[in-house]
Amino acid sequence: MDISLKTTDGEIGETGVGDGLRVKIIGVGGAGTNTVDRLQFGEQGQARLAAINTDAQALASSPIPEKLMIGRSVTRGLSTGGEAELGRKAAENDVSSILNMVSGMDLVFILVGLGGGTGSGAAPVVARQARDQGALVVAFATLPFSLEGGRRLEIAEAALGELRLVCDAVIPLPNDLLLQQAEENATVLDAFTQADDWIGRGVGSICAMLFQTGLINVDFATLKKAFCVQGGKTLFGLGRGEGGDFVEKALQDLALCPLLHTPEYARKADRLLVNIIGGTDLGIGHVNRVMAAVTERFGSKADTVLGAVIDDNLQSTVEICVIGTTDVGGGRYVRQPVKSYAAKPKPPESPQGRPIDKAQGGPAAPKLDLEETSAPDNRESDYEPLPELDSVRPHDGAQGRSTETRMPQVHQSKLKKTEANDGTDQEEFLFVSEEEQRGYFDKTDRNLFDGEDLDVPTYLRRGIRVTL
Amino acid sequence: MSQSKIVAAVEIGTSKTVVLVGEIVNGRSLSVIGMGQSSSSGVKKGEILDFKAASNSTHAAIMGAEKSAGVNIDAVYLAQTGRHLEGFNNKGSVTVSAADGHVSGSDIERAQREGKSKELPQDRVYIHHIKNEVLLDGRKVDEPYHMKGERLDIGYWSIHGDERRVRDHIHVINGFGLPVEDMIVSSIASGSMVVGDEEKKAGALVLDIGCGATDWVLYQDGYIARTGVVAVGGDHLTNDLALGLRVNRRNADKLKLQCGKAILEKDDLTEKVWMVGDHMIGDRHIPKKAMVQIIEARLDELFRIVKKQIGPRCTAQNLPGGIILTGGTSQIEGICELAAKVFGAEARLGVNPRIVSEDLRGPEFSTVLGLLHYALTGQHAEEFNTGAHERGILRKVVKLIAG
Repeated sequence: MDISLKTTDGEIGETGVGDGLRVKIIGVGGAGTNTVDRLQFGEQGQARLAAINTDAQALASSPIPEKLMIGRSVTRGLSTGGEAELGRKAAENDVSSILNMVSGMDLVFILVGLGGGTGSGAAPVVARQARDQGALVVAFATLPFSLEGGRRLEIAEAALGELRLVCDAVIPLPNDLLLQQAEENATVLDAFTQADDWIGRGVGSICAMLFQTGLINVDFATLKKAFCVQGGKTLFGLGRGEGGDFVEKALQDLALCPLLHTPEYARKADRLLVNIIGGTDLGIGHVNRVMAAVTERFGSKADTVLGAVIDDNLQSTVEICVIGTTDVGGGRYVRQPVKSYAAKPKPPESPQGRPIDKAQGGPAAPKLDLEETSAPDNRESDYEPLPELDSVRPHDGAQGRSTETRMPQVHQSKLKKTEANDGTDQEEFLFVSEEEQRGYFDKTDRNLFDGEDLDVPTYLRRGIRVTL
Repeated sequence: MSQSKIVAAVEIGTSKTVVLVGEIVNGRSLSVIGMGQSSSSGVKKGEILDFKAASNSTHAAIMGAEKSAGVNIDAVYLAQTGRHLEGFNNKGSVTVSAADGHVSGSDIERAQREGKSKELPQDRVYIHHIKNEVLLDGRKVDEPYHMKGERLDIGYWSIHGDERRVRDHIHVINGFGLPVEDMIVSSIASGSMVVGDEEKKAGALVLDIGCGATDWVLYQDGYIARTGVVAVGGDHLTNDLALGLRVNRRNADKLKLQCGKAILEKDDLTEKVWMVGDHMIGDRHIPKKAMVQIIEARLDELFRIVKKQIGPRCTAQNLPGGIILTGGTSQIEGICELAAKVFGAEARLGVNPRIVSEDLRGPEFSTVLGLLHYALTGQHAEEFNTGAHERGILRKVVKLIAG
């Protein structure tokens, strides 16, 4: 899979969207690093690749240009041996190097395999640093196979919960699904390639929206707006159609995408990001059909961000990528600008000589977004910190996670109005968010038996392949 | 002049709430004189999640039942399920006090008290103490009163539940202005309907597979040896099918009911079924193989979990009475074959007593019928009479006639 993240000059450059937008793809832990390796993203674009690991040996063998070994004093260059606590300590010990790695970035993708030590422990730390630096953080997290045992699953779920609190969007990919998708006699490697493929298409789609020429371009501010509430469930689906009635085929493929049929995912989204990649024969009529079908299925037309990109290599082919975020389960972790009291080292210098001052104007103030959508890059507009924003800012400690604020509600979930309005047990609601990801059996007690959650379909946990 | 008491059996189930009204005449016979049903909401996996919604649907069912019976209900017998229910074996042991070595009523009382005296954690509450093995000097006896021996052991299978959940259940009924006479765990209620005395004596296992949970009860030597709950039921099948076949819940439920099957056969490998069946746009073919695979995996796992919960006692030798399946989900084709395969014992579908009217014979009514049965016989029939009155003379006649 090769995704070129080319910036095309011309109209995009002029609007200043692709310009100076800095994207980093960071693999955390062994699995995450491998994924970044295998994806072989082109280095041409602004997307830079980086790897963070505790295992010196694994890191040495990786071709990724930017490598960071963490926790030398904790693990002495060895792996964490599956201890998430060690992974966290390792990351916290080297927090300044991580800070360096993420500072000045606008968009950070974190690719991580949860369940192990380094990934589960360090990824939330990395995500928090990136977010505190003002970057938009999107994490793709693979979850271990059920047959790997209860302990790894527990670690993974705890880490997933933590990630949800600090990332703008977390897209979980249960490995159990790989078995569903793989060919009858696929090897383990094939299965993992499939996971990488999903992640690659997800990352690629978001980047393509920002960087590539398209029928409909999406600027970074719009993208940020789509992810303005943190901690909620996400929705992620891919569909592809070729030849003939390629739009219809792609829509069918999307409807059957196993990623959309796991307990981990939301059925409807409050904000939807739809990206369509097609050849030059992709007409606006096609785009319209896709949009109509997708918004009908996943919800809210009003809050849908649409991108349509032309790729010359994809004649009579169309790829649809849907990413949705919801307020469900996440409460209202509204994106906050960097806190002024945080010890924020000024980013070394920005290549364009432009001050990267994310303290102001982030989409944390959705009101601004609504007014300023015409300004493609509202980071440039030099807002004074808004007084009303300050007043709602929590006055508590310097902990990164305490940024949950009650913002005046702008994006209210259309999905579960009653809950969103139910102010009484809001606190509880926030804290159980990570457990509320099980589809129909949401909000019921975990149904654990021998470390397995019985509410998750048996065929998924046992790796029984269901062919449709 | 006959005295009659109007009792209701209420099961707040995951898919529906069923209320049966029975008239007990002179404490001897019972007739079913009314019935009410409503589809439940706010209940998942047998537990109440939304008190208000569950109350509303339950009250609607009670109202319907009262209306159909034309009388007011005096008291309610309530079924209880949910994975919060747990049980343990406990034994009360005493030394026979009388000098002549004959067991006296006070010996039995002391042993019973000791057997039930184990303290529970703060938030747990006892629901039943079910007497099972009675040993006099290590030998099994049915009735120790006046027998000669030195040491008396009375064993109990004690079932306890989460206090808040149990209280929630009772409050739903109280909210209608009715007292709860007794609470009976679903497994025991269902078991009393579908297993005969002979099978209880021989050893049998009853699985009541409902919509939200599976209640099981193991009989040995004529008594209830163990009970348990697995919070897996028909809802899980629907959910699995919805996810696995990528259809919505409504269609998944429909597929499950129409062509659900628990065991894969040769013909299923190639057969395809329509998702909706109306041949309209959006309808598509679904391979039956996929469907059966998903159901088989779930039920197979369910049976294995029950087997594991029972432990080493769960062998074919201990279950000559076989496996008896009841509850709404037991209607899936091929479920007996699958159960027989997993447990290595004979399996059959439970049948409610013939005296019950036609429309109450369905497996989903086993629990409520069982509740009425207990309303009549008194759930404490398991207890000994301690010499105060003779047992057997007042044996109540179970006579269930639909109204």
